Amino acid sequence: MNKLSSLALNEEGFVFDPTTGNSFTTNDIGLSIIRYLKEGKDSEEILRSLLDDFEIDSDTAQRDLIDFLAQLRVYRLFEGS
Amino acid sequence: MKKSYEKPFIKKIQVGLMNKFGAAYGRHIRSEIDGVPVAELTARYGSPVFVFSERRLRDRYQSIHQAFASRYPNVNFSWSYKTNYLDAVCAILHQEGEGAEVVSELEYQKARRLGVPGSEIIYNGPYKTMDSLKTAVQEGATINIDHFDEIYDLEEVAKGLERQVKVGIRLNMDTGISPQWTRFGFNLESGQALDAVKRLVSGKRLILNGIHCHIGTFILDPQAYSRAITKMVEFSYQVEDAFGLKMEYLDIGGGLPSENRLKGIYLSPDVAIPPMDDYAEAICNTLLSKLRPNDFPTLILESGRTMVDEAGFLITTTHASKRLPDDSRAYVIDAGVNALFTAFWYNFRVELEKDIPGPHEPCTLFGPLCMNIDVVADQVILPPLPRGTRLIFSPVGAYNVTQWMQFIRSRPAIVLINNEGFPEIIREAEGLEDLIQRERLPKHLKLS
Amino acid sequence: MNEISIAVSGINAVDNPGPGVGVVRSIKEDKSLQVKVSGLAYDAMEPGIYLDWLMDRSFVMPYPSSAGADYLARLLYIKETAGLDVVIPTLDAELPFYIKNERELAGHGINTFLPDKEQFDLRSKEHLTDVADKIGLSVPPTEVVTSHSELTAALDRVGFPAMIKGIFYKAYRVHNHLEAESAFHKIVNEWGYPVLVQKIVQGDEINVIGVGDGAGESLGNMAIKKLWITDLGKIWTGVTIDNEPVNRATELFLKKYSWRGAFEIECIAAGDKIYLIEINPRFPAWVYFATGAGINLPARLLRAALGLPFERDSTYKPGRLYIRYTYDMVTDADTFQKIITRGES
Repeated sequence: MNKLSSLALNEEGFVFDPTTGNSFTTNDIGLSIIRYLKEGKDSEEILRSLLDDFEIDSDTAQRDLIDFLAQLRVYRLFEGS
Repeated sequence: MKKSYEKPFIKKIQVGLMNKFGAAYGRHIRSEIDGVPVAELTARYGSPVFVFSERRLRDRYQSIHQAFASRYPNVNFSWSYKTNYLDAVCAILHQEGEGAEVVSELEYQKARRLGVPGSEIIYNGPYKTMDSLKTAVQEGATINIDHFDEIYDLEEVAKGLERQVKVGIRLNMDTGISPQWTRFGFNLESGQALDAVKRLVSGKRLILNGIHCHIGTFILDPQAYSRAITKMVEFSYQVEDAFGLKMEYLDIGGGLPSENRLKGIYLSPDVAIPPMDDYAEAICNTLLSKLRPNDFPTLILESGRTMVDEAGFLITTTHASKRLPDDSRAYVIDAGVNALFTAFWYNFRVELEKDIPGPHEPCTLFGPLCMNIDVVADQVILPPLPRGTRLIFSPVGAYNVTQWMQFIRSRPAIVLINNEGFPEIIREAEGLEDLIQRERLPKHLKLS
Repeated sequence: MNEISIAVSGINAVDNPGPGVGVVRSIKEDKSLQVKVSGLAYDAMEPGIYLDWLMDRSFVMPYPSSAGADYLARLLYIKETAGLDVVIPTLDAELPFYIKNERELAGHGINTFLPDKEQFDLRSKEHLTDVADKIGLSVPPTEVVTSHSELTAALDRVGFPAMIKGIFYKAYRVHNHLEAESAFHKIVNEWGYPVLVQKIVQGDEINVIGVGDGAGESLGNMAIKKLWITDLGKIWTGVTIDNEPVNRATELFLKKYSWRGAFEIECIAAGDKIYLIEINPRFPAWVYFATGAGINLPARLLRAALGLPFERDSTYKPGRLYIRYTYDMVTDADTFQKIITRGES
């Protein structure tokens, strides 16, 4: 099962992983992406949602999303692509 | 309505590093220097670019001069060329009334070329060539002798000129600070200084008329100067009483700190560094209390760093960002230790041209050189910087544009913002021509 | 009486505790004062943040090494959001900022009760010898070093075992050159130069806690002997004592230097000699010992800072015991989350 579903999130960007006891901080966009991932969206759907919701161009959003997913993988919070 | 965007991030919370602010709180923005927008400076002169402020330099000189001149009737400042020998910087300080303090024949020639008369030059240092000593004597410069061999050299010059020559000697001494500088001048406590005077007197060609001392660099304890002055005055009267020689000047050298953050000092400079008045008071009050009635030898200061450091800025640009394997953030910027040599011992103030949203985190700033040592700053607290972000380093006015090196890249331009608030180029950016103009390629090595 | 808002730092009540929690506990025991306390922390894990019966609010501060303007801006923010009439800094590294900005802070209505710069400087090695002389105590051989070669030379003179000390924090007991080098590098990396090398004098650890009024008199002081010391050199049990030479030294210290604010004098009694080891320009971590023995120094200092009347009585019973103990508490992550994300709770 994907680790993401068990993560506890709060509105202010505090993320708690109950399996490992690790805590993380993230920002609004990070929080949105994690929520999309929890909903089961893939990266293309997430990208579209970001472009719908935020004031950002597609190139930047894509680059940032790749970087963010890489960070989640480093922390072993996410295994997909 | 779409929401405003910020680069997404996620950061693991680590024990021992749970401080939202760390070493910085609030915004650190510098959008202009003396009224000239950073964007305008980079548009006109490129990046990186050194920027000096004439106003800041003059203000600084005037306030330091005031601190001393209001406490002692006979004060003279001599501009330490090695700190920054750009013509424009030297000329500003000469206009303000400073002489020139030089430590090589090259600096001596540069001061003369700029129009400083020999009589307003102080010639210091451990390596003075025979030719330059002769010129300095002929032109009436003040010479502070560093070692016994220089006594012999000067006696030879005096002999050649068939006259006596006035000289000063440099002392080194224990002023209660460490490290104690002992490699320059004659040691006081061991009796070496008195031996030097005896030797001078017995040679009959040189007349001692001044004492020089430079206790160290970035001195944070004003009382160290007080101790130095005490010992200098005692020594000068000892010499006067024993040999009938009158000391016309006491040259306390430099060593006053700037508002820079020296590596290895925990506190911020605005907290750690005593105000200039404390130094002026320590020096002048001690002088007045130790001097004999109606004796006011010239007090000479060779302040360099404290005078010019805050007048200098370096505008740089981020070229790339990196995430290092330890998960820390790093940027490659367009100026490295080649331009910012003092990065080896300072943690500069780093300001952004404009506010950038996002979480601040400790970052490393790498220079552009393909060399592992090219680290301009580490542990700088910065938000996520897009490519092309301008970062302004300060204070960088002291020692960089003399110690910088032409290594891998050529040296950037230097701009002066004059008193009217207009930028003027005072040193052009170097290029390939500067690199190759002194080179000669032997015929047999010509490629095709 | 009106409510007073204060801020206290050093609320890191861990195995090497800061004095903040003891200061706050003391002040809250003065029932004639109505005090609201903001704890000032440097890390979200400082236990004081979670002691909600002592701290009304907590704020994360930028490190004391940050620019003075940043530190000041944070204090002004705290004044705006939680009120701030008096700050009681309890950590050495903070004091230069507060001392230098005493007037500026007062201008904003934030009062302190601290030594001045000259008094603060008395704790430097060179002055310590002088102070010891003036108040009738001895000093163990100490050297100041700023390089590896100086360290080696100093150790040759001082001998082993020795203490390697940072200018603000950290002191390591070392038994050979290898340990000394490692201690030296640890200190330099974290706290910079200079580093002190001090000969270890064996004997009883006698300490004095007190507050000076800035005019040569005491707002109260008390002497103790440390009975049991942890591996980190921190007191675990102690006893109040009435030691004539130490009392006299304390009195002379206050008289000669007109000390203002909290202080701790650390001594070692060996034979008939009493060595002055350190003067700390702040409360020690065991500050509550004095409160428990009847002399509430933090409350008196707070009153002095506000110009309120305070007691000066320093009588206490020798033989009162101090026992430090550990306490386990359990809380949910609310406060922690706030401190992490907002920097305050």
